[in-house]
Amino acid sequence: MNEVPEQIDPRPWLAAARGGARREDAMRALASDEPGPRELAALLSPAAGALLEPMARRAQALTRRHFGRTVQLYVPLYLSSHCPGGCLYCGFASDRAAPRHRLEPEQSEDEMDALKSMGFEEVLLLTGERCPGADYAYVRDCVARAARHFHNVNVEVFPMETGEYRGLAEAGCSGLTLYQETYDPGRYERFHRWGPKRDYRARLDAPERALRAGLRFAGLGALLGLSDPRYDLLALYRHAAALRKQYWRSGISISFPRIRDQEGGFRPDFPVSDRELAQFIYAFRLCLPDVPLVLSTRERPALRDGMAGVGISKMSVASRTTVGGYSGRTQYSEGQFEVSDGRGIDEFCAMLRAANLEPVFKNWEAVYR
Amino acid sequence: MKDEWKIGPHKFSSRLILGTGKFADGDSMCAAVRASAAELITVALRRFNREKTEDDLYAPLASLEGIALMPNTSGARDADEACRAARLGRELSGSDIVKLEIHPNPHHLMPDPVETLAAAERLVKEGFHVMPYIAADPVLAKRLEEAGCASVMPLGAAIGSGQGLTTMAMVRLIVRESRIPVIVDAGLRAPSEAAAALEAGCDAVLVNSAVAAAEDPAAMAAAFADAVRAGRAARRAGLMAQGASAEATSPLTSFLGAEHRDE
Repeated sequence: MNEVPEQIDPRPWLAAARGGARREDAMRALASDEPGPRELAALLSPAAGALLEPMARRAQALTRRHFGRTVQLYVPLYLSSHCPGGCLYCGFASDRAAPRHRLEPEQSEDEMDALKSMGFEEVLLLTGERCPGADYAYVRDCVARAARHFHNVNVEVFPMETGEYRGLAEAGCSGLTLYQETYDPGRYERFHRWGPKRDYRARLDAPERALRAGLRFAGLGALLGLSDPRYDLLALYRHAAALRKQYWRSGISISFPRIRDQEGGFRPDFPVSDRELAQFIYAFRLCLPDVPLVLSTRERPALRDGMAGVGISKMSVASRTTVGGYSGRTQYSEGQFEVSDGRGIDEFCAMLRAANLEPVFKNWEAVYR
Repeated sequence: MKDEWKIGPHKFSSRLILGTGKFADGDSMCAAVRASAAELITVALRRFNREKTEDDLYAPLASLEGIALMPNTSGARDADEACRAARLGRELSGSDIVKLEIHPNPHHLMPDPVETLAAAERLVKEGFHVMPYIAADPVLAKRLEEAGCASVMPLGAAIGSGQGLTTMAMVRLIVRESRIPVIVDAGLRAPSEAAAALEAGCDAVLVNSAVAAAEDPAAMAAAFADAVRAGRAARRAGLMAQGASAEATSPLTSFLGAEHRDE
């Protein structure tokens, strides 16, 4: 039976986050100079929902102080939709009828050329779980190709062993994104019906293996909607805090993906409203003022516009969740989930500029590899 | 007499150095640079985009006249990375001045003293005018001076924190001992703090967030320029000595001399 490790266990603060915290606790947390898990719990609590506006103002001030008037942009590139996993909520799960695709090396080069010509300097390469169609050698090859195009190459793929991560770093990979999906062991087991992803600890410990192997950045997150979001967010905070203490030379970023409609028709038991999502992001900004917070195109334009620079410092743009699809030479219709913000890069950047924010495409240098 | 200071062979009149990150766009950055009257500007190599001008800080800066560029090695975690970045920065900008930043922790960005000294020694040998960003450590400052650095840049507080000159006592020790320019870099929020640094004998200050994150960056840049001029003028004018207690403008003992004359 999977168990949540003590160092990320959210339960000491869970009652406060679920409703135990009062408005005064939230106000005290909002004004705190040294916010920790206690303050985060208060800011995640329903009582803090009445303080959304002051939380947003403080989140914006902290974001501006640490990241300036800039928003860092990146683009995902789905390499493969092959997957042996049985994730109940995922459009790539192996029991979905949708046909599977994989970018062949020359196709991936076409896609990378297209993304490069759009101005991107940071790419996130994605696959499903490890399988013969998209294994370690394939991912490493794609990383090496991407490293010739982009200054910053990250992966969002299956958990790997330390030696494999070392190989990715040598190939030019800077970081990984790996969402735990849910930190609640019981619900984790329920959602991951079969496949390698059923191993809760193998996934949970993967960012640590990656950082130990020399990757410089780890992106963490929980897929909001799968479980009680307050449980997941408190555990996520503790996970990030533990990694920061151990791997102090590494950068941590945090994403806030909400479950989206996808092939398979999964409906979440714990839907997170726009107001709750905003509150959670503000709470994280207040408690982790120097950590990049990421919002993807899963969210609709109005929400993304409102969050840019107000807590959120990094965003994906012009995303396709299909395999390929950027170059026009490779176009498949079935994505992992529905994209809500389908705006092109020019339109999105115009929005940022109108909000007095600078879109930043290059914020890393290949010479640091 | 002209009041200049030098980095290697490069002479500067302005004692305000500006950082270029965090601005909303190239126009507001250039407006702030102009308002600041800065002659030395730092730009992060990791933001240089030699292929895409729309995301490039360099193109708008290059359009400004009378500006010396100082590429910085922000993002480097150790001496090797910093040296590679410095060489590339020199190639791209044509500048032999490098702001040496090695901050292995990407969150609080505090400088690594061990790696900084190692990189400084190597870069000086390669002909760079090295301006290292350091914690306000008087011993490290002297070690870097002995290594041949062109200046030292102690932090006033953590980058972007806006906490002000929290390291003032250490900065005073550095100034007192230093034979090279001392530039307070990072942490400043208010122009008065910049004035205080110049009054204490610092040769210049570097600000970025204080200007870029202000409501009106160009106006704040101008305010910093004024403050730096005032602080420097005060330093040159010679501040009166501080006393432990009040000293009356009309001395209370003057009658003693008068009594003597009466005799």
